[in-house]
Amino acid sequence: MAADMRLPVIRKPVSLIVSTDRRDLVVPGDVITSDTGFMRGHGTYVDEEKLTASVAGEVQRVDKLICVRPLKTRFNGEVGDVVVGRITEVQQKRWKVETNSRLDSVLLLSSVNLPGGELRRRSAEDELTMREYLQEGDLISAEVQSVFSDGALSLHTRSLKYGKLGQGVLVQLSPSLIKRQKSHFHNLPCGASIILGNNGFVWLYPTPGQQEEEAGGFYTSHEPVSLSDREVISRLRNCLLALAAHKVLLFDTSVLYCYESSLQHQVKDVLKPEVMEEIVMLTQQKLLEQEG
Amino acid sequence: MLKSKTFVKKTRSGGVMKVVREHYLRDDIWCGSEVCSECKQESTVLQRDACMESNLCSYPHYLLPDTNVVLHQIDVLEDPVIRNVIILQTVLQEVRHRSAPVYKRLKDIIHEKEKHFYTFTNEHHRETFIEREPGESANDRNDRAIRVAAKWYSQHLKASDSDRLKVVLLTNDRGNKEKAEEKALLVYKFEEYIKSLIANTELVDHLALSNDDKNEISSSKVLFPEHLPLSRIQTGIKSGSFLQGTFRASRDNYLEASVFVQGEEEDSTEVLIQGLQNLNRAVHQDVVAVQLLPRNEWVAPSSVVLQDEGKAKDDNAEEEEEEKALRVSAAEAARKPTGKVVGIIKRNWRPFCGMLNLSQIKESTRHLFTPADRRVPRIRIETRQAASLAAQRIMVAIDGWPKHSRYPNGHFVRSLGSAGDKDTEQEVLLLEHDVPHQAFSQAVLSFLPKMPWAITPEDMAKRQDLRHLTVCSVDPPGCTDIDDALHCRELDNGNLEVGVHIADVSHFIRPGNALDKEAASRGTTVYLCGKRIDMVPELLSSNLCSLRSNVERLAFSCIWEMNHEAEILKTRFTKSVINSKASLTYAEAQMRIDDTSKNDDITKSLRGLNKLAKILKRQRIEKGALTLSSLEVRFHMDSETHDPIDLQTKELMETNSMVEEFMLLANISVAQKTFDEFSECALLRKHPAPPPSNYDILLKAGKSKHVEIHTDSAKALADSLDVATVDGFPYFNTLLRILATRCMMQAVYFCSGMDNDFHHYGLASPIYTHFTSPIRRYADIIVHRLLAVAIGADSTYPDLMDKHKQSALCNNLNYRHKMSQYAQRASVAFHTQLFFKSRGILNEDGFVLFVRKNAIIVLIPKFGLEGTVFFDSKDKAKANPNLVFDEEGPTLAVEQHTFHIFDKVKVTISLDDSNIQHQKIRMALIDPVIPGVSVPAPDVEPQAKKPKLDR
Amino acid sequence: MAGLELLSDQGYRIDGRKATELRKVQARMGVFAQADGSAYLEQGNTKALAVVYGPHEMRGSRSRTLHDRAVINCQYSMATFSTAERKRRPHGDRKSTEMSLHLKQTFEAAVMTQLYPRSQIDIYVKILQSDGGNYSVCVNAATLAVIDAGIPMRDYVCACTVGFVDETPLADLCYAEEGGGVSSLALALLPRGGQIALLQMDARLHQDHLETLMEAAMTACKGVSKVLDEVVRQHLQEVSVLTGE
Repeated sequence: MAADMRLPVIRKPVSLIVSTDRRDLVVPGDVITSDTGFMRGHGTYVDEEKLTASVAGEVQRVDKLICVRPLKTRFNGEVGDVVVGRITEVQQKRWKVETNSRLDSVLLLSSVNLPGGELRRRSAEDELTMREYLQEGDLISAEVQSVFSDGALSLHTRSLKYGKLGQGVLVQLSPSLIKRQKSHFHNLPCGASIILGNNGFVWLYPTPGQQEEEAGGFYTSHEPVSLSDREVISRLRNCLLALAAHKVLLFDTSVLYCYESSLQHQVKDVLKPEVMEEIVMLTQQKLLEQEG
Repeated sequence: MLKSKTFVKKTRSGGVMKVVREHYLRDDIWCGSEVCSECKQESTVLQRDACMESNLCSYPHYLLPDTNVVLHQIDVLEDPVIRNVIILQTVLQEVRHRSAPVYKRLKDIIHEKEKHFYTFTNEHHRETFIEREPGESANDRNDRAIRVAAKWYSQHLKASDSDRLKVVLLTNDRGNKEKAEEKALLVYKFEEYIKSLIANTELVDHLALSNDDKNEISSSKVLFPEHLPLSRIQTGIKSGSFLQGTFRASRDNYLEASVFVQGEEEDSTEVLIQGLQNLNRAVHQDVVAVQLLPRNEWVAPSSVVLQDEGKAKDDNAEEEEEEKALRVSAAEAARKPTGKVVGIIKRNWRPFCGMLNLSQIKESTRHLFTPADRRVPRIRIETRQAASLAAQRIMVAIDGWPKHSRYPNGHFVRSLGSAGDKDTEQEVLLLEHDVPHQAFSQAVLSFLPKMPWAITPEDMAKRQDLRHLTVCSVDPPGCTDIDDALHCRELDNGNLEVGVHIADVSHFIRPGNALDKEAASRGTTVYLCGKRIDMVPELLSSNLCSLRSNVERLAFSCIWEMNHEAEILKTRFTKSVINSKASLTYAEAQMRIDDTSKNDDITKSLRGLNKLAKILKRQRIEKGALTLSSLEVRFHMDSETHDPIDLQTKELMETNSMVEEFMLLANISVAQKTFDEFSECALLRKHPAPPPSNYDILLKAGKSKHVEIHTDSAKALADSLDVATVDGFPYFNTLLRILATRCMMQAVYFCSGMDNDFHHYGLASPIYTHFTSPIRRYADIIVHRLLAVAIGADSTYPDLMDKHKQSALCNNLNYRHKMSQYAQRASVAFHTQLFFKSRGILNEDGFVLFVRKNAIIVLIPKFGLEGTVFFDSKDKAKANPNLVFDEEGPTLAVEQHTFHIFDKVKVTISLDDSNIQHQKIRMALIDPVIPGVSVPAPDVEPQAKKPKLDR
Repeated sequence: MAGLELLSDQGYRIDGRKATELRKVQARMGVFAQADGSAYLEQGNTKALAVVYGPHEMRGSRSRTLHDRAVINCQYSMATFSTAERKRRPHGDRKSTEMSLHLKQTFEAAVMTQLYPRSQIDIYVKILQSDGGNYSVCVNAATLAVIDAGIPMRDYVCACTVGFVDETPLADLCYAEEGGGVSSLALALLPRGGQIALLQMDARLHQDHLETLMEAAMTACKGVSKVLDEVVRQHLQEVSVLTGE
């Protein structure tokens, strides 16, 4: 097998916009304002009555609230966010889920749909068989139900959309790259489906045939996935990485455009820097055209 | 502004290691020239019209010497004529690496404003930095760097308006010169350039002889074996086949020397070196590598006194061979490790004082120079002013010693004045003993308090007022720097309060200023006959710090409460103000004590002190303190000519020892206090116990009179000295004590953090320091400061707490102290000569102090004078008497008479001024009469008083 | 012979810098994709790589959890090839444990840990090449990595070593200077407020000199902060352009 080896080169940013000096970028310790009329938001602190940034990023102002949004951060969940996570622990009446946030999220036994319909009562027996539903290492998709005071998230899977994930590929990206949209579940026309978790975890899987109601989200098929599906998924994965490398926001259209642009290359070549660059350029152009 | 450049170095530490260091190149290094308009420099060093009139360069120019020129011709560069010189960093670094003294001198020149020497940091300049090319040696690279810098300078100066100004590269290296010429640089040989200087002909004399122009005078005959290269020496030392040590030429025998090899801890050895070939061009104080000779070639140190007085300059070494033969025949059991010098590790040459021996050939410009220090060989120099220098004391520096030359080559440095002149001789004496004796500089004087000076209320507030106490000082007559005063009074509880008050010099000399630095460098006041070289300016030493009577003075007081058995009940230290009631001499004080009719406060105080002192002394002696003896003489000076008119040994009175006792007590108390407070950085003084072998001579001497001396401990020694008397020989004990003194080690200052043996052998004290003479000893100032910190009267400063700096200071103090003693002795010797010159010939009684192979050393107690009586005569016409030397006795049999140690003899003393440089006292034997050896007693004007020997 | 001359009369040091000049500082942020934050920093020939993970759930022993703030966990190590002599440096030798502890203390003073109760922040620093001032280079690299991770800090933490030679403070000592028997001091500073995060000195120095030395160190730290600031702003600029808004 021929290995492709290359020497390290300086990464050139792909930029269509000429870089300008932006005023709204701050670094830790920068004083944002000494006007006391503003409210202190995330990424800021008050030092000697001056509102000071504590992270490097851009300043956002909503009325009187000033926040600094760092460029890169762990996932800060909000109610309603779709997340993809991995079970790390099974505890009494709840699961602990790693969702790329500062603390592991919690999935209460009471917040899942158990097989047998929505109205099923939870018994002590269910507590003992929790591991049969979800065990350590399982991946799930879920929605943020509420946020605890210490910043930990409480999740629920009380919808047929959510639940245990079966065969597919997980791509871990920065949460700031996921564009907030109405829906984060997409059946892409190229023959695969995608869950763009707000926490930066993206799940790629073959589009299922039909929804089985009674599975309650805990059934996973073990049927072999066809080669063509696998190829599509792999290509999608590489496209995601390419987009992430060039910091392009991810949503169904951008992924799709990128997929289309990459079709002229072999799947494995997509990760080559020059190919990556080319594909991303094409994608960005298409996006601009669409907008314009 | 910063350019980074890394380069790779190889160093050896077990293996080859790659060292990567950063090397920044800069754009902001300026050329330092007044002319230049490009460089944004704040101050310039090099002048616009750099005029040194020269035949070669008629235009203004800057000089740019290479390393070797600086190393060898530093004497010329020091001359005020040479100005506007660019010293490259490359050169400076190389000089630093190769010779510390030259480096020091070069830096001094650079600091001197009038010289206009500019240091150009070429190694960090962007345009003059060069990298070493593959295959290029470090030296070649440096030479190239110098050329590149010279090139840069000439172009740089050309670019600025004046194109008349040029840079002249000076080098003695032919290869370098050729390469520079290729690059179209102005380049001259150093000699060439100096000779071309108009109106500066005497500079030529300062030129060091370079190895380049082979000395045609000394034929190509090789006199000495080649020195080994440093690399081979190092491997030799590592493998143990060579030893490294300091070369010490013998004072008495120019063909003999010893090399002191510092071993681990105590185990140091001395290697004997005999004969010109083995000495192999080593000069006194050089660090050399020696190779031991096979055991069967080992010899004993000869007892012959031999001086290199060879008739002018004999290059063939025939006579030496002869003398060697004479020497080798000796030696039986007492053979010592003998070796030969195989290489020089570090030369320790300094400029030497001495006189010129004129060459017999009138027109010759090469002459032989005889240094005042007998341990230094004669030096051949080249000068055109020989005639005028002939009767003068001059200084000469050694340049080198080629293997085919009998003598080292040197050059003339400066003249000190005409020989025999008292001032000149004193100057020589001070120079030879490295005593700083220039007048105090303005910078130093600026730190003196303003006159009129008075004690301020602030000072008063911080100090205890002791003005009401009856304090008095007791000193030798004529003393103007009084640094101690005493008092004693009875307290209400019946105990006695005793105070020692020391001048508070540290109040006036604040740490770190120029005054302090000067005092630290001088280390001690040097007392010569009729002259005092002060450590601190006179205003302090003789006025503000001197505890004169009836004036208010600042003092540092040590006050004890004692009972009548002299037991210390309480010790207290304080800064104070005192008002001395009387300045007495020892004799005056003694008279007051003895005069029962007197009963004033001062006298009472003195009696109290005296009583306690006696008890203290007894206690001290019981503990094993030694009372040793050495003869000290005093000259009575003519008040106008300052020539000595009489000479007598110093007398000791009870009051001397009274003052001494209390000073010792104060010193010990202070030592203890400072050490308790600062265990790491207290400055103490120790006196190591001498190794047993030192006592050999004393034991032998004792045995010769059937007296047993015990040397196992100080106490035993003291006791056995006390009982050692011989009936009918009252002076015996004193003689024995004189001998014992010579067995002792030197007492030294040290820093408590660097040593763990604090014992003072002579005083039998576990701890000791110097506190009581801050006016004349710098150590005391440090001790004062430490004590002041300990009692909270002053604050510390960094160097005081740094044990390494402290210990470096101690080394300097010890050195200065030693040198001042030597200078003192030399001064006494010189004045003794003057005295005898005026008195003509004298006949005196004396005692044999040592017996040597061809001479006896006689001590004349009346004058405290030691002299040698030779039994073999210099002129070969006369037959030498039959000499039999017995090592064991030691005795020397001359014809029929046998000399023992301590024999009483009668000698005639006269001044031998045949050699103006080394005038000496000649002694000849009168009694016992040995035919052919002793001389008839010459007529002398009758002496009024007979020498009084017992005291 | 008598050692190296650390400061020439003309005021240049062995490597050609002046007494107050820092070495050349070069840095890059975000060198690893998988870590939350990372940075690479060169200060002269001393090169360090810092990686930050977190804040995240406590791993390992739960017992170290603090209920009011985050735990900072630092690990310092030196690459085997970082010094002239190749040497295996096992984890947890005394020197690196001490250094880890110092780093931890430094960052506890700067990172706003109270925002993340019951979580943990890992800072791993590795010296790739050592040429003096290891501690300060680590601090500076870690600061960048923490900023890259988007963890709130009161201010940059900048550190610098300062040595004392011939009554002159020398900023940012290189290895040759550190070895020259110089009393040196390492100081970590929050430059804007002038608060000292850590001050470390294990040589003897007289108290009179301490102040001048500290002042020099603070000036040097401020110099470092200027460079870091530039790096951060540059990085921000680049990344925010990419996200294209």
